[in-house]
Amino acid sequence: MIELPPPKPETLAARPRLIAGLRALVPEDGVIAEALCLKPYETDGLAAYRQVPLAVVLPETTEQVAAVLRFCHENGVRVVPRGAGTSLSGGALPLADAVVVGLMRMNRILDINYADRYAVVQAGVTNIGITDAVRERGFFYAPDPSSQLACMIGGNVNMNSGGAHCLKYGVTANNLLGLRIVTIAGEILEIGGTHLDAAGYDWLGLLTGSEGQLAIVTEITVRILRGPEGARAMLAAFRANEVAGACVDAIIASGIIPVALEFMDRPAIHACEAFAHAGYPLDAEAMLIIEVEGSAAEQDDLLGRIRAICERFDPISLKVSQSAEESAAIWKGRKGAFGAVGRISPDYLCMDGTIPTSRLPEVLRRIGEMSESYGLKVANIFHAGDGNLHPLIMFDANDPESFHSAETFGADILKLCVEVGGCLTGEHGVGVEKRDLMPVQFNARELDQQRRIKTAFDPDWLLNTAKVFPLKPDIAHAA
Amino acid sequence: MNAIAPEAEGEIADVIAEAHAHATPLALVGNETKSNAMLRPVQAAATLTLRNHAGISLYAPKELIIAARAGTPLAEIEAAVAAEGQQIIAEPPDLSALLGGAGQQTLGGIVACNLSGPRRITAGAMRDHVMGVRAVNGTGEVIHSGGRVLKNVTGLDLCKLLSGSYGTLAALTEITLKVLPASEAVGTVVLAGLEAERGVAALAAALGSPFGISGAAWLPREAAARVPELAAFDAAVTLARIEDFIPSVAYRTERLRAEWAGFGAAAILEDAPSRALWRAVRDTAPLGHASGDAIWRVSVAPSAGPRIVAAVARLGGNCFLDWGGGLVWVAAPARAENHAAITHAARASRGVWWLMRAPDALRASLDVVPEEAPALARITRRVKEAFDPQGILNPGRLFAGL
Amino acid sequence: MQTNFTPEQLRDPDIKVSNQVLRTCVHCGFCTATCPTFVLLGDELDSPRGRIYLIKDMLESGRAASEEVVLHVDRCLSCLSCMTTCPSGVHYMHLVDHARTYIENTYRRPWHERALRGLLAQVLPRPKLFRLALIGARFARPLRGLVPRRGMFGKRLAAMLAMAPVKLPPSAIERPASHPASGPRRQRVALLAGCAQQVLDPAINQATIRLLTRLGVEVVVAEGAGCCGALTHHMGHHAAAMAAARANIAAWSREIEGEGLDAVIINASGCGTTVKDYGFMFRAEPEPWRSRAARIAERALDISEFLTRLDYRPSRPPPGIKVAYHAACSLQHGQQITAAPKALLRTAGFAVVEPREGHLCCGSAGTYNLLQPDIATRLQARKLANIAATGAELIAAGNIGCLTQLAGGELPVAHTVQLLDWMAGGPAPPGITQKSVITQK
Repeated sequence: MIELPPPKPETLAARPRLIAGLRALVPEDGVIAEALCLKPYETDGLAAYRQVPLAVVLPETTEQVAAVLRFCHENGVRVVPRGAGTSLSGGALPLADAVVVGLMRMNRILDINYADRYAVVQAGVTNIGITDAVRERGFFYAPDPSSQLACMIGGNVNMNSGGAHCLKYGVTANNLLGLRIVTIAGEILEIGGTHLDAAGYDWLGLLTGSEGQLAIVTEITVRILRGPEGARAMLAAFRANEVAGACVDAIIASGIIPVALEFMDRPAIHACEAFAHAGYPLDAEAMLIIEVEGSAAEQDDLLGRIRAICERFDPISLKVSQSAEESAAIWKGRKGAFGAVGRISPDYLCMDGTIPTSRLPEVLRRIGEMSESYGLKVANIFHAGDGNLHPLIMFDANDPESFHSAETFGADILKLCVEVGGCLTGEHGVGVEKRDLMPVQFNARELDQQRRIKTAFDPDWLLNTAKVFPLKPDIAHAA
Repeated sequence: MNAIAPEAEGEIADVIAEAHAHATPLALVGNETKSNAMLRPVQAAATLTLRNHAGISLYAPKELIIAARAGTPLAEIEAAVAAEGQQIIAEPPDLSALLGGAGQQTLGGIVACNLSGPRRITAGAMRDHVMGVRAVNGTGEVIHSGGRVLKNVTGLDLCKLLSGSYGTLAALTEITLKVLPASEAVGTVVLAGLEAERGVAALAAALGSPFGISGAAWLPREAAARVPELAAFDAAVTLARIEDFIPSVAYRTERLRAEWAGFGAAAILEDAPSRALWRAVRDTAPLGHASGDAIWRVSVAPSAGPRIVAAVARLGGNCFLDWGGGLVWVAAPARAENHAAITHAARASRGVWWLMRAPDALRASLDVVPEEAPALARITRRVKEAFDPQGILNPGRLFAGL
Repeated sequence: MQTNFTPEQLRDPDIKVSNQVLRTCVHCGFCTATCPTFVLLGDELDSPRGRIYLIKDMLESGRAASEEVVLHVDRCLSCLSCMTTCPSGVHYMHLVDHARTYIENTYRRPWHERALRGLLAQVLPRPKLFRLALIGARFARPLRGLVPRRGMFGKRLAAMLAMAPVKLPPSAIERPASHPASGPRRQRVALLAGCAQQVLDPAINQATIRLLTRLGVEVVVAEGAGCCGALTHHMGHHAAAMAAARANIAAWSREIEGEGLDAVIINASGCGTTVKDYGFMFRAEPEPWRSRAARIAERALDISEFLTRLDYRPSRPPPGIKVAYHAACSLQHGQQITAAPKALLRTAGFAVVEPREGHLCCGSAGTYNLLQPDIATRLQARKLANIAATGAELIAAGNIGCLTQLAGGELPVAHTVQLLDWMAGGPAPPGITQKSVITQK
């Protein structure tokens, strides 16, 4: 179990008064304080780590968020922001003395502007909710994390979420224009707007991916893009992971950047096929989903070029989607991949390292070796085009030994990613899960530099405490 | 003034540590192609130039990554990636003609100013492609952020914070950029004779089309006349660029021309003239300016661009629009009241500005970028102190007293 | 997901199943997004993942259900949208059914709540009683204005009165009978005549029988068959539900063993989900019930599923009517039947449109609209607005609950099978002639 800081005794002692104070700030059913009802809020998408919070507050407006933060600030109470609770790194893990501020009720789309191609939405709007709102005009919001059905845009901003299509369209940070944020002191600030580029410091860039360390984001101005004329996915099946990896390299080297280039190994293919019935090749060791966009003729042209490259790697099969339904099924399988692993294992840990793509075959081989030595199965699902790996380590949470091995195995994979020139997390965030690995990637000076920035925003370290930064500075210094 | 030009990162760190110890303000520069014209003048006891800390340190074309030391001339990087059929995505401009700088601009300079060209409208800014940085903060500590991979959210994103911080937080020493394959072909669809409002509407239609527009500019007649490839139109021009494989460019330029039928009969420019004219737009060649003019760069929502054009016209200044109408390059006589009028227009449209060129005395007395709300300004000050507690790096460059 | 049951607890077959369900859940949270109550209320406790957590805690502790758990489990519509969404294949239905029974066994509801639930459980499954109650309610309808609109009691009473049709259809309760195929007999099926549906809208069964016999199918309404058990099952009244199911299993088994049955046809999809689950419900029952139940469950088919196996063709010219197809949750989520009804309506000549947020429940959900009128009314308004936005002239659905719930809007409603029957030569559905869509054409 991950170490959390000791709760502040004065906060715990003041619990009744604090809850009464919070009740005065939000509508009547907006404060959850009964022990039983707090339990479902004890964890997020990383269910291995759990901690029941002091209380949960569900504000409905930015002003209510500001009032809650001001109150917590005045009372020295820690705050954990939460959206849909889909974080795979424990980004919304509560603390025993913390108030969870849930933004799920702020789920309105405030403005859509097609001429200037932006939408203003509240933090609790789901990622897919934005695209759904602009789809009939042919527009979409580009970043598409696999959890896009459920995950909320506020969380996307805080984690700088990516997705399968960010190879072409970029990650969250590349698709934002403005934010409305609330500081821990309860001040409401406007960052950016509807224009491009920041005149002063790039607060938008800093806040994106800041994992709730700096402020709470309540409103977001996102760029919306006109979709292409059409898109088509192709499934390419190969005899070995390494072969599929080499094929990825060859595609990129040819000067073609597909909109998506996804990799799945055998266990992942089988789990996802059981869920999506997408016609995945069950006889393959590895499969690529390659998607191209454009008119029908442009798609044919690009798929022809890609097919020619794939054929150099002795594929088992190459199959181009023949209909919108077939493409939807292909993506349903990929996007449900993590959950689908729930069909073959009661629990999993999802890793998120990124590596230089040229090291893919080597890293895959070494993960395979580790899998054998730990005696734990792995399903591999990657955004292959940009080197972002998602090895899913399967374990049984009812067996403490198994969980402990999975944690250690995961840490070894991430260390390997850093060793080959990559990083700990490509799109899921450090959260609580990778917090203690930060010294692998950053030295003490670098961590202190980041800590000082946090302090500039949140002098008392009340916001999402115990995430991102190792708890004890001496751990960092020792590394 | 004292000029120090170290070669190694360690020496740069030593210089800054020393300056920190003695609270000696430093002007951080590269080849000074922009620093003597842009934003507020820096009052420093010494100049630290990074031009000798140069050279490409890593280029992995298959991984779409290039890393170079801050003093590396941008042209050297552009040549290296071009040799592999790749390009710098944000198409950074060369403003030496506009800002009067001699010499070659450096990678560090363009990243520190976060300057991007026409492709910014669809492909992102320089800061969007900075995958990693090494830097020396104001106490002389070497720090890094990001890395050499394409996706990285480990820790706070200092790559973005330091991009566009104009050397006021840290001295960038090494930068890793994402690069992409250069397009096989370029084509431009041109509408002649539309005034700004209508031109920007056409650009909105183009950017709202499925044809992947990678450049969208509007030039008034006198600006178009300064670009040889456009002079023959003898009119204001509305330009949309498409970059892709050869058959795609042919197909999409035709489709866009059809899409634009309601705006008038559009012409299509082939590859070579297209490349030349977008380079001119990138480097602000269409902007007419006299030696006594100040230059502003204004960023607004694209549909507000024509309002800035109208405000500039009232001053008798020159301007043109890029980024679909959202980026306005403005030239007008360097006077405080002109600054007030332009910034008022930008503010009225919820936009921002940068004073890119003006005489020192004027630059020192104006808000060269918009002032921040008090609560945000407090954060700015604290973040500055978090990097540079003595306030020795480019003091006053963005805000007086910071 | 980790669970903490003792080996002793796991010897209970219900706990054993629930443990398996819980272990399948990986807590990814996808289900929250498509849950109607989470969309409306924005509290994880009113989402599938939150309820799973509450139920897990309740079952693990072995304690009596608490007021809070009851509140949030009661708010669940059992629409099963979460099961369509869930990538891991969590069988939420079995978990929440278990929880409802557990609640009824361990929690003492306030007297008025018990009285209401007892009344509904007694009346709704019994067509004659239900008809009498509706006649009573019809007389009370003019008094609606006197009913207090505040407080749960008032709202529920108002909801019940609103449900009573202004004009009750003539009594046409299906008697046990055999309706021979016209022409040579191709198949023989049993029709679940149902309970509440045949009182609220007997024309649905009539249309079903007419259409099937015309297609060469002999239709049997079996002696002894009645309510499927869903109504009581979803209220946690386990024994009553099992008794109802057992009666049906017995009745249909006699037919199977007699002249034989190719299928058991259900034209109220809420019932279909339950009949298809008989195998599970009887998994721990002694033989022959266990295998009989499984055999019935295998033969159970929604009318739209069955019609796709026959050669349905319209005999009338296309009516030129734009129909909004409302996917009943029990059909799209409970039985995963999505394409068949739309395809049949298109074959019949209708222009079929699908409203936005088609995955969200209309708020009917069995007795939900009576027990949770606030949420049900919000869902109803949201659904009707989405349907109105399509510009359709008519709403089609495959479940009586939805039809009753959506009848309150501007558009006429009809069961899918009524529209298919109409185009194959049957009479126009009553609602349609009344609202005169036809005369406009």
